[in-house]
Amino acid sequence: MYLLSFLTRRLFQGAVVLLIVTFAIFTLLRIVPGDPARLIVGGMAPDEVVVQKAEELGLNDPIPIQFVRYLGDLVRGDLGNSFFRPKSGATVGAAAFDDPTRDDRAEVLTLILETIPLTLQLAGLAVVFALIMSFPLGVAAGLNPGKWQDKLAFFTGSLFVSIPNFWLGIVLAQVFSVNLGILPSLGYKGFEYTILPAVVLAIGISPFIIRTLSVSIAQVMQEEFITVAPLRGLRRSRIVGAHAIRNASIPLLNLFGIQLGALLGVLLVVELIFDYPGLGRLTINAVLQRDFPIIQGVAVFISAIFVFINIAVDLAASYIDPRLEY
Amino acid sequence: MRDKDTILLIQDLTVGLANDPSAKILDRIGFELSAGKVLGLIGEAGSGKTVLARAIVKGISDPLVYKSGKVVYRGEDMLAVSSEKLVKIRGNSIGYIGSNPSGSLDPTLPVGNQIVEKLRSVNPSLSEKEATERVLEVLAAVRIPSPEVRFHEYPFQFSGGMMQRVMIVDALVTNPAVLIADNITQALDVTVAAQIIRLIKELRDQFSTAILFISSSLPVAEMIADEILVLQQGRVVEKATPEKLIMSPQHDYTKSLLARLPRIWGPEVKAPTAIEASTLMSVDDVYRTYLVRKKNTFNGRNAVQAVRGITLDIREGENIGIVGESGCGKSTLTRLLAWLEIPEKGTICFGGRDLSELSWKELTKLRQSFQLLLQDPYSSLPARMPVGRIIAEGLLIHKVCKKSEVRGRVLAAMKEVGLDPSIENHLTVGLSAGQRQRINIARALVLKPKLMILDETLSALDQVEQSKLFELFEKLQKTHGFTYIFISHDMALVRKVCHRVAVMYLGRIVELADNQTLFQNPAHPYSRALLSAVPTLDDHPFKSEEYLLEGEPPSPVHIPNGCVFRSRCPVSIERCKTDDPRPTPLSHGSYVACHLVVESAVDHAKILENSV
Repeated sequence: MYLLSFLTRRLFQGAVVLLIVTFAIFTLLRIVPGDPARLIVGGMAPDEVVVQKAEELGLNDPIPIQFVRYLGDLVRGDLGNSFFRPKSGATVGAAAFDDPTRDDRAEVLTLILETIPLTLQLAGLAVVFALIMSFPLGVAAGLNPGKWQDKLAFFTGSLFVSIPNFWLGIVLAQVFSVNLGILPSLGYKGFEYTILPAVVLAIGISPFIIRTLSVSIAQVMQEEFITVAPLRGLRRSRIVGAHAIRNASIPLLNLFGIQLGALLGVLLVVELIFDYPGLGRLTINAVLQRDFPIIQGVAVFISAIFVFINIAVDLAASYIDPRLEY
Repeated sequence: MRDKDTILLIQDLTVGLANDPSAKILDRIGFELSAGKVLGLIGEAGSGKTVLARAIVKGISDPLVYKSGKVVYRGEDMLAVSSEKLVKIRGNSIGYIGSNPSGSLDPTLPVGNQIVEKLRSVNPSLSEKEATERVLEVLAAVRIPSPEVRFHEYPFQFSGGMMQRVMIVDALVTNPAVLIADNITQALDVTVAAQIIRLIKELRDQFSTAILFISSSLPVAEMIADEILVLQQGRVVEKATPEKLIMSPQHDYTKSLLARLPRIWGPEVKAPTAIEASTLMSVDDVYRTYLVRKKNTFNGRNAVQAVRGITLDIREGENIGIVGESGCGKSTLTRLLAWLEIPEKGTICFGGRDLSELSWKELTKLRQSFQLLLQDPYSSLPARMPVGRIIAEGLLIHKVCKKSEVRGRVLAAMKEVGLDPSIENHLTVGLSAGQRQRINIARALVLKPKLMILDETLSALDQVEQSKLFELFEKLQKTHGFTYIFISHDMALVRKVCHRVAVMYLGRIVELADNQTLFQNPAHPYSRALLSAVPTLDDHPFKSEEYLLEGEPPSPVHIPNGCVFRSRCPVSIERCKTDDPRPTPLSHGSYVACHLVVESAVDHAKILENSV
């Protein structure tokens, strides 16, 4: 019953958030300079063709009407078609005037669904790497505040947070792909292509995990139920493993929900550097070409993921700590 | 000499600080615990009680260090054994219960599972099922209602008293030979504390456990201990049986401790008598209900009926006490009286004006006349504001005087409450609780109020500070004609200070009487129970065997039919099941809400006659 009530309430809130986000993205893209009709038909096209194209795409209608039409399409699962990308997958040169019919353009939803598994794989692997790196450091630091473990965690965190990710990406590619030849770093032909970009991402997020974990573990260790546990007869391993980490994981979960946004930002850069064919590369190319349907689709998609992951995080937190209610 | 019943022997135990070789938190402590005996240990805050409790089970950590001594359990020095062996003794043969039951278990896991976890940690040979059965058995033994259900509940779903029972189960589930009870009644209401002490007594007889009962209150320790140690600044200054300790204390410290105990009953107790005066504030049938989201339902709300029809007249220049246990609605009533909350039904008039009919501007002006003083002197003062500015705040908000006069008034108020004017520009950091409360009083005083609402204002202070502040209150009352409302759970304080006392139970006043009547001849069975549970060395007119309550108040969400006290009342009759007793007026503006009021008052008079 709690679950049903929780999901109904939160999904409704999430839908409202998405609606607002969608409207903001839609409006912003319409008021930035640059004529999409001109872009589609190409710089060399005659003006009549541009006017005709604009009419065809409904670009001359008032923005609210365009928005309602877009929402209607969204509900039907139609995110529109790319302005430039044909179904074949190759990018059309922006200046060419080859005028393929609109149906031949790739559907945004298809483009997103093609790239999203790769991005999720990259993000997931990055989170796993980050947790593997951060947990021992963060927990050890939290258990020994002020001692060398704490300092080690602090220095590692400071170091990682100061490394620019584009630079690290290039260096790792140079070392592991060019010099040592162990790992590939360009494009995607198999799972091993995910490893290097995931390491770069993981180094970007691990300082936050280390910091949160060490602070919250140190805090939990001061709580009465922890200090009194050895007197009750519990062993140290059990106290830390079953109780301290459990209680310290709630701030970590919350952090994860918030850090997701930052993770997506880094993801764009990292995918571009490694030419990783994920959502990030799709987005950057779309932005460079002013491919509005794709930008819009990706933005809506990402905000939906953001909303849902935060719902999942809150749900998980309230399962760990039943006092919490959202 | 070790006698053969000795289970735990503490010798020459000295604990100091790692970074200060001369500091001694515990100084050469020595005593022994024997089977089936309760050794009491009393001492004031800071005397080293908790450090001792933890030092015995090798539970102290940085910066505390052992300097010397032994803790011998059945011939083995606990401080020297390997950690493997320690795990087998601690929590298994030596149980420990702390003073904060609500914080003692992981808040995110059901209590039953955590006790099973503990039991299996010290006794790995038990299967999950056997351990669960054992835990359920002990849960039932300490009279926790429906143990199978409560096994699966989380710590936050337990009241303080029930949680302390859970912690007793946690300590006793392994059948320990020694039990260390560190101030276990401190956080509990008096009736619940009395229940817990009675429970410990029963368990001692049942399990023949050796108990170290640590308490900050001599009357509490006296109820249960066979012998009492007095701890002062880490040193045992006296050891005697309770009778001897009370009748003929040897050490000066014990004498001063006894002298400072507040008296409640006895020929030399002078209770304030009620005064007849015009009404300053009148509370007429006020209600306040809170809606709280109900978990496990779809959009459900629980109605918590915090205050359910309170009528009360506060007379000019009197001290009126409002007493009752946690959750009885005291704090909500405080907020209503201070008009921080608006009653959903009923009216509150101050000086003849209905507060709900005043405009916002008039209300702000009138607020100067009734001021609230809070319980916690630490969180009720802004940490980054100088003392003088804190006190001036009210003057600036209400613009009662010219800016140039503000400082003079602040300094005058500081002087009046006994604060050194030189701390005017200091921050509150480093000030004692007593000084902080004086700032609070000065902050209210500058506005020249008529009514002061004191919400547990004195309970955070020690006895000495308390009596000093009380003198201040008296002085202010004489010079300014203040009226005080004391909201408190401390019966001794109320006895000493208040002209009239209102007893609250589950959102209502069940009895309102003048001090002498309430303490000598209470009409309501709940008042008697409350009084019977007050720990005191005085000759108690209400024997706890006779009046002590079982169980806890019903939840304010599900108010039962009829009389709400019926479920715990020792004298309830058929009529109480259906009829909700309305307040019956007695003499001098007193009233009581009980069907048995006439009979019980008569009966009780007889009992008193017989006992004299």
